[in-house]
Amino acid sequence: MIATDTNVGKVTQVIGSTLDAEFPEGRLPALYNALIVNVEQMVGTEKKSEKLTCEVASHLGGGRVRAVALGSTDGLKRGAEIVDTGQSVSVPVGNAVLGRVFNLIGDPIDGRGPLDTQDRRPIHREPAQFSELTPKTEQLITGIKVIDLLAPFVRGGKTGLFGGAGLGKTVIIQEMIARIAREHSGYSVFAGVGERTREGNDLWLEMQDAEFKDSEGNVKKVIEHTAMVFGQMNEPPGARLRVALSGLTMAEYFRDESGADTMLFIDNIFRFSQAGSEVSALLGRMPSAVGYQPTLGTEMGELQERITSTSQGAVTSVQAVYVPADDLTDPAPATAFTHLDAFIVLARSISEKGIYPAIDPLASSSRILDPQYVGERHYAIAQRVQVILQRYRDLQDIIAILGVEELSEEDKLTVARARRIERFLSQPFYVAEQFIGIPGNYTQLEDTIRSFEEICEGKHDDLPEQAFMYVGSVEEAVEKAKKLQE
Amino acid sequence: MANARQIVKRRKAVTNIRKITKTMQLIATARFQQAYNRATATKPYTQKITQLVEELSQAAAGQVDHPLMRKNPEASKDIVLVLSSSRGLCGGYNASVLRSTMGHLNSHTERENELHVVGKKGIAYFKFLRREVERSITDIDDRPRFEQVEPIATDYMRRYEAGEIANVYVSYMRFISTGKQIPEVMHLLPLEKDESAEGDQATGASRDKTGIAAVEYDFSPAPKQLLKNLLPQTVKVRLYQCFTDAAVSEQVARMVAMKAATDAAGDMIKSLTQQYNRARQTQITMELLDIVGGAEALK
Repeated sequence: MIATDTNVGKVTQVIGSTLDAEFPEGRLPALYNALIVNVEQMVGTEKKSEKLTCEVASHLGGGRVRAVALGSTDGLKRGAEIVDTGQSVSVPVGNAVLGRVFNLIGDPIDGRGPLDTQDRRPIHREPAQFSELTPKTEQLITGIKVIDLLAPFVRGGKTGLFGGAGLGKTVIIQEMIARIAREHSGYSVFAGVGERTREGNDLWLEMQDAEFKDSEGNVKKVIEHTAMVFGQMNEPPGARLRVALSGLTMAEYFRDESGADTMLFIDNIFRFSQAGSEVSALLGRMPSAVGYQPTLGTEMGELQERITSTSQGAVTSVQAVYVPADDLTDPAPATAFTHLDAFIVLARSISEKGIYPAIDPLASSSRILDPQYVGERHYAIAQRVQVILQRYRDLQDIIAILGVEELSEEDKLTVARARRIERFLSQPFYVAEQFIGIPGNYTQLEDTIRSFEEICEGKHDDLPEQAFMYVGSVEEAVEKAKKLQE
Repeated sequence: MANARQIVKRRKAVTNIRKITKTMQLIATARFQQAYNRATATKPYTQKITQLVEELSQAAAGQVDHPLMRKNPEASKDIVLVLSSSRGLCGGYNASVLRSTMGHLNSHTERENELHVVGKKGIAYFKFLRREVERSITDIDDRPRFEQVEPIATDYMRRYEAGEIANVYVSYMRFISTGKQIPEVMHLLPLEKDESAEGDQATGASRDKTGIAAVEYDFSPAPKQLLKNLLPQTVKVRLYQCFTDAAVSEQVARMVAMKAATDAAGDMIKSLTQQYNRARQTQITMELLDIVGGAEALK
């Protein structure tokens, strides 16, 4: 199998998930080249041989390279033969990947046999040229009130979901898949980065059941238009570091070749930074602020700059970003912030009130929340809602100390409305139906704007606060109030 | 987690608020004593004179026909006098008086209600509701004097006798004990011969006595003359009692509200201090980690 001109080296050192290899002088593998080593391990009485792919990360001099293992290094020995493939890691692309599940090196892991395609693309590529970019400014309607009103998604843009542990990032991502991917005619790619394997499995099974109607009215399975790439928590850091790129490469192909609108879902981009930090220490780089890798910004930039819409097609991406210790100023989420068109911030204080999605209406925003793009009316009402909520937040300390009775009449009214708005921002999700027993709700943008306008104007001051929980348009709140009275 | 400096700033603000509320609490306590003495000092007199007038008018039933006891059914107006406070920081005091006032106003709509409001808070409230206030009185503070109240009562009686108004109601916070005050709408005019339930709880204590008091009175001077002097006095005294009750209720409400506020501020300071300490510790740990990590990497 190994041809005569193959470049073969020897493993000289293994440190965790990085390894050093020595190659003949003058035949050093290039950076990012994939190296393959056979790992032999005794499993019971059987000898098992597995291929381990590594990626060259730095040149140490003296014919030695340091590489990051993209799989488990268990059983790897010093002195093992290591082969330079002469190219970087590549993944299969094209229609053949639809409906399949892959790991980061492009091997199918859904147990449905090998892939029937020769089309592959390297996962390291240049971002789109400056002149090719076509930043779109069209709103992508999600049917979720709080998002559509206060942090509108951009079609062909990037959206981040920031949130601490257990606030529902993954639920929102899955909800987005249910809402957008189902009604969306193009292709979707889902990259699972360092999250729970169980969630990936759930998603896969769910997608096999989910159906949608294409433009010709044929009922199709969502999975037939979706490719999934997983490098979950159990994988070594090298895998988690590269899996986002693998998913992205597939999405890029659809964008460039088919021209269709492509959706890219990444859950969770923070794990990418985290994996980078794990690898960085093993590569011997000096840690930077808060112990992150010194190349944090570069790594994030290289990934994010590739997720973009070009004149050939649009990539709309939704990315979950874990926020460690609920601290948005942590370098990892802060670096991701700058690349996004819209950011949805999940807040613990809201989830504690039992309001889901726990989106912070004041911290979340969008580039296109601007009268130029969403229209004067939408913008004005979004502003009004934020002003009311901001006033309520400012008054919170006074209320906590002196009680609501001490406020002036105007402030009392503002507080009453703010509390109603706060509750009205909740909404039942499709994917949460089985947990909360309320069917999912899709609110048209026009209904959303009108509902909030009416609440701001005080048309519904007489309804009990409870009536605003988990409803769609304000008419449903009125309906619910009637039911509550009975 | 907010940064340490922000938390310190907030804690400072809350500490200042607590200082204020604590002081207010002490002042309210002192003022409460004074107001309490004033209110309880006039109460027996008010009760007695009310009782006396009732007994007399019963005894002289049929012989007298005083204008203050006559009904004015053809009059087009009711007067509602609202006693609110001029100062805030007294918890739900104003809110409950105004709530009961609104309840009264909404259930008595057959005649035009002329609003007379004492206290800035009440005035501001009706201004917010865009309801016209005929007369705003702000010169009576939380230590009402009889001379201040008397002209108001005199004015009402004059207008009542002239047949301009059908009823005069006083909406105020009735003081029962330190632990209990209830918002009440008292029917001041006309003085009613038979004690109907509404508004006359103020004289409730004397009602039982009136029942038994079937004493024969010898009138001298004549009942008409006697009542002519006594009735206006009753009206004035009852109105004054409302003012003193309102004053003492306000102080009680302020005492309670400020106590609660001081406690709440204390709790807040505690939790802010905890947050601050945690933020500070995090910061230190982080810096240490950076230094140690850096030094280690340089070795």
